[in-house]
Amino acid sequence: MSMAKPNVEAREKILSKLSGRELVNCFQCSRCTSGCTALKLLELKPHEIVKLVNLGFVDELASSDIIWTCVTCLKCVQRCPQKASPYHVIMALRNLAVEREVKVPEGYLKAVSRILESGLAEAVQDVVTKKMEIFNRESLKLPKIAFPKESFQAAFMKIMEER
Amino acid sequence: MPKIGVYICHCGLNIAGVVDVEKVTEYAKSLPDVVIVKHYTYMCSEPGQRMIRKDIKNHKLDRIVIATCSPRMHEETFRKAVAGAGLNPYLLEIVNLREHVSWAHGDEPEKATEKAKALVRMGVARAKLLEPLEKHKVSVEKNVLVVGGGIAGIQASLDLANAGFKVYLVEKAPSIGGRMAQLDKTFPTLDCSACILTPKMVDVAEHPNIELLTNSEVTEVKGFVGNYEVSIVNKPRYVDEKKCVGCELCTKVCPVKIPDEFNEGLSQTRAISIYSPYAVPKVAIINPKHCLKLKYNKDVCGKCLEVCEAKAINFEQQPETVQIRVGGIVLAVGSEVFDATKMPEFGYGSYKNVISNIEFERIVNASGPTDGKILCPENGEPPKTAVFVQCVGSRDKRFHEYCCRVGCMATLKQAILTREKLGKDVNIYICFNDMRAFGKGYDEFYRRARDLDINFVAGLPSDIRSDANGLLHFDVYDKATNKLLEMRPDLVVLANGLIPNSDLGKISALFHVSRSADGFLLEMHPKLRPLESVMAGIFLAGACQGPKDIPDTVAQASGAAAKVIDLLASGEIELEPLKAVVNKDLCSGCRICESVCPFVAIEMKSENVEGAEKLRAEVVEAMCQGCGLCVSTCPTNAIKMQHYTDEQVIAQVKTAYLESGEKGGS
Amino acid sequence: MKVAVFWGCRILTSQYTYEMSVREAFPKLNIELVDLSETNCCGDPVKSMKDLAANYLAARVLALANKTGLDNLLVPCNRCHFVISEAKNVLEKNERFSQKIIEVLKEEGLEYNPNVRIWHVIDFLHDFVGLDNVKKAVQKSLKGLKLATHVGCQIIRYSDLGRVDDAENPRKLDELVGALGAETVDYAEKLDCCGANLMYSHSDSALSLAGTKLSVLQNLGVDGLVVSCPDCGLMFDSKQKDAGTTVGAKLDLPVAYYTQLLGLSLGIEQEKLGLHLNQSPINQLLTKVSP
Repeated sequence: MSMAKPNVEAREKILSKLSGRELVNCFQCSRCTSGCTALKLLELKPHEIVKLVNLGFVDELASSDIIWTCVTCLKCVQRCPQKASPYHVIMALRNLAVEREVKVPEGYLKAVSRILESGLAEAVQDVVTKKMEIFNRESLKLPKIAFPKESFQAAFMKIMEER
Repeated sequence: MPKIGVYICHCGLNIAGVVDVEKVTEYAKSLPDVVIVKHYTYMCSEPGQRMIRKDIKNHKLDRIVIATCSPRMHEETFRKAVAGAGLNPYLLEIVNLREHVSWAHGDEPEKATEKAKALVRMGVARAKLLEPLEKHKVSVEKNVLVVGGGIAGIQASLDLANAGFKVYLVEKAPSIGGRMAQLDKTFPTLDCSACILTPKMVDVAEHPNIELLTNSEVTEVKGFVGNYEVSIVNKPRYVDEKKCVGCELCTKVCPVKIPDEFNEGLSQTRAISIYSPYAVPKVAIINPKHCLKLKYNKDVCGKCLEVCEAKAINFEQQPETVQIRVGGIVLAVGSEVFDATKMPEFGYGSYKNVISNIEFERIVNASGPTDGKILCPENGEPPKTAVFVQCVGSRDKRFHEYCCRVGCMATLKQAILTREKLGKDVNIYICFNDMRAFGKGYDEFYRRARDLDINFVAGLPSDIRSDANGLLHFDVYDKATNKLLEMRPDLVVLANGLIPNSDLGKISALFHVSRSADGFLLEMHPKLRPLESVMAGIFLAGACQGPKDIPDTVAQASGAAAKVIDLLASGEIELEPLKAVVNKDLCSGCRICESVCPFVAIEMKSENVEGAEKLRAEVVEAMCQGCGLCVSTCPTNAIKMQHYTDEQVIAQVKTAYLESGEKGGS
Repeated sequence: MKVAVFWGCRILTSQYTYEMSVREAFPKLNIELVDLSETNCCGDPVKSMKDLAANYLAARVLALANKTGLDNLLVPCNRCHFVISEAKNVLEKNERFSQKIIEVLKEEGLEYNPNVRIWHVIDFLHDFVGLDNVKKAVQKSLKGLKLATHVGCQIIRYSDLGRVDDAENPRKLDELVGALGAETVDYAEKLDCCGANLMYSHSDSALSLAGTKLSVLQNLGVDGLVVSCPDCGLMFDSKQKDAGTTVGAKLDLPVAYYTQLLGLSLGIEQEKLGLHLNQSPINQLLTKVSP
């Protein structure tokens, strides 16, 4: 049994990241969790996350692994009868985790650094067919990628550093 | 010169706890035309009222200002007190020092006292300009129209008829009985619905004071409270009600099969048939959209004609319009059931074994499509696992935000009936969000369901799926055990919520009654006046005002009947004089007032003006609610609001901004 | 008819077959694609990091579209379409974000235009070009093919944002497949997610989700699966083998982008449509198409 203490400021912080206050309307019908794509494999329970935030238990969520298990299928947003939108709450928690520099999966950090470097989140790859032939954009006669001009990097960095 | 008496009430500490009543009293003494000023702890009490009456007599006061709580509380009381002393009750001005001062500005007593002074000053300025007014009496018709023949309409009609009123009961369907006739057993007692309803239906049919108009609809409503003129169209049954004996031979020979509406489309009936096993009146009706002869207008079929020994069938029957005059109206038009095809994720409409609660009601009913056997529609076998899903279309911002009020109890009942009919051979689950068993005997009913090993799952499913073989399956997260349950039901029953009747738009326009945000008919006040619509003389009963169960419906229906009796019993009604009045000399006949009046209270009358026929506006006193829209929109200032004249209001505005230190000017 | 096009990241860096098939097929429907002068990530992974920055990236894409002077922007990736749709909403409703973003864009000489209309391949073909026009352009019918469609998640949800098709009963992709002469089947798991987004952090679970759905589809007895998002294409086609390994199933389901099948029915050579690059056993499907 945990006797955690709620953090009212952190709760307000999450609420301020959302476009509305509907998360407080959640009445725990658990429809979101019943249909959650990530429940069976990763035990993600959107209704629980919304309730925890609403009660102020934000800190433990922000530093948890569970908030990174959401597949972003958006079923919970679509079907919630109170428009509490667990997906947006989870995104807000992720943003908070990043702000606090607590554990963020490698994949995301890599994506951001790639964007900074080249403008794209993915690295250019070759395609290997089943016959072991190798192809790339050039050999497929696809136009060169128009990477963003120099000013982009500074602009992106500026926005990333905004409070 | 008027002689004004000002009375400041302490209202215990409610006012005096914030406002310095002595300072206000002193200030009031300085106001012009004020002859006497007193303050007292409870002005509305016996001694308080006596004090006012004595002063009126002794000092020959002709205007009274009472600074007290909201006029909504005691204006009537004080008017009676003032009238008791021989003064016209409309020469009284109430100043609100409680809701508008002490309760609003409790944390700023000094400023509150200044505001109190200002309000009293304004009240005195208005009091000077008040005019004596008289209530008018209007005679009323002692007949009543009840629209809707479900249990609400039936109950109201019987109460009214027993009290000696003539009742016209209009029902859209070919038979009265409404939803209740479709139900099997009723919660929380498990009485047979038809058994308790049909005796009342027969009473209605046989009551000398009730004229039953089935297969009929109201088409026009004119007039005002106590004096309504209503047109009703009696749609043709193509069967003579007076001749038909209800033998149903015609139904047996009719070749055209149509979905049976009473059985929610789960079975078929014929183009000529009797509406239901309990139909009152027990008279056949032909559906003109499906009857071959009526549809194709030819010499086809006519088999029913051949077998009808009573010679009751008449294909030439025309709609008949009936005009009636009534003093009061009770709207009891009921509600409908949410159409779950709006939630495709549950598969209703696609998967045969996903049914609605009302469909289940017909299935479990002995007079229904399966003779009361609980069978899955897909294969006709009894279910081994039956799952009920709550809150479908209700408590949902995407559809209807309100709670349907009866869903939980109806499902508990249906689950219990399933257990009673199928015994231990069925697993029953109820997926719920909250279990609402609020009424008398209701929680005990809930416990009864648990006693019968009905499983309660604390969670709702996201969707319901069907595999290629038509087998249903879905996942639902149970919050109590933190387990994801994988359901494999044979039968799923959706607790579709009660929703506003699709006719309410028409009803609202016909009767000029308003609807609340949830779509149901709006009551005058949700707590204190739940039986009255916003139109004087029109009352609400049953689910048309909001979803409700049978006990509440019957109570509300009897209440509405009592309200009508109260209204019409004396044969006349008194109208408050707070009405608009048109000065015909200033009226230009532009009709703007007529177009803005929300209560249809302005009529254009033809007047002879200097030899020419001109239209002039006239306020229908009985309909006018004193809202003032016409007064403010009249371009020639021809309309005056009695008791709220422009002069009175402007006097208040002018005196509002004087400094309290100055002597109140005019 | 000219339309600007924004490819996102995945298509440009690995899902070439989608790009090839769109570039080949669209001109045959009289659509001229206009590439943006430069491109950047729509902001999808950044949504999990910093909402402001993600919306900035999406707004930058729209600003680049604005530079082309065209009113319509084709966005073939489901995720980009969602990110940009949400960004439009945010820029309209959130003053603070809007100001910051417009300011930074200005510094680069870019101007955000809220009136650029975004389209996904599905609604562009179904509604803009029109189902009938697609039908008319078909030269080689795909009659005889029995296919299943996977429309994905982020272009049908959430309805309040205004999406490409109905969230509970999406039919446009099926109708587009039907326009080519092929038949589509319905199945219970139709709205289930491919799991791509989990590749950032939980790749096993991602592959498990994809593998589960592929197994179900295989058991349906269909000739192939039609997708229209590069992430779904990545999971179902490129990673089919890995997905199969993860769920312990032997997966042999042909998977193709809708535009590849469209190109086929318009008479375009298989190689031009990148069909030799599909990792799934696409030949199983191609042999069923009449020559």
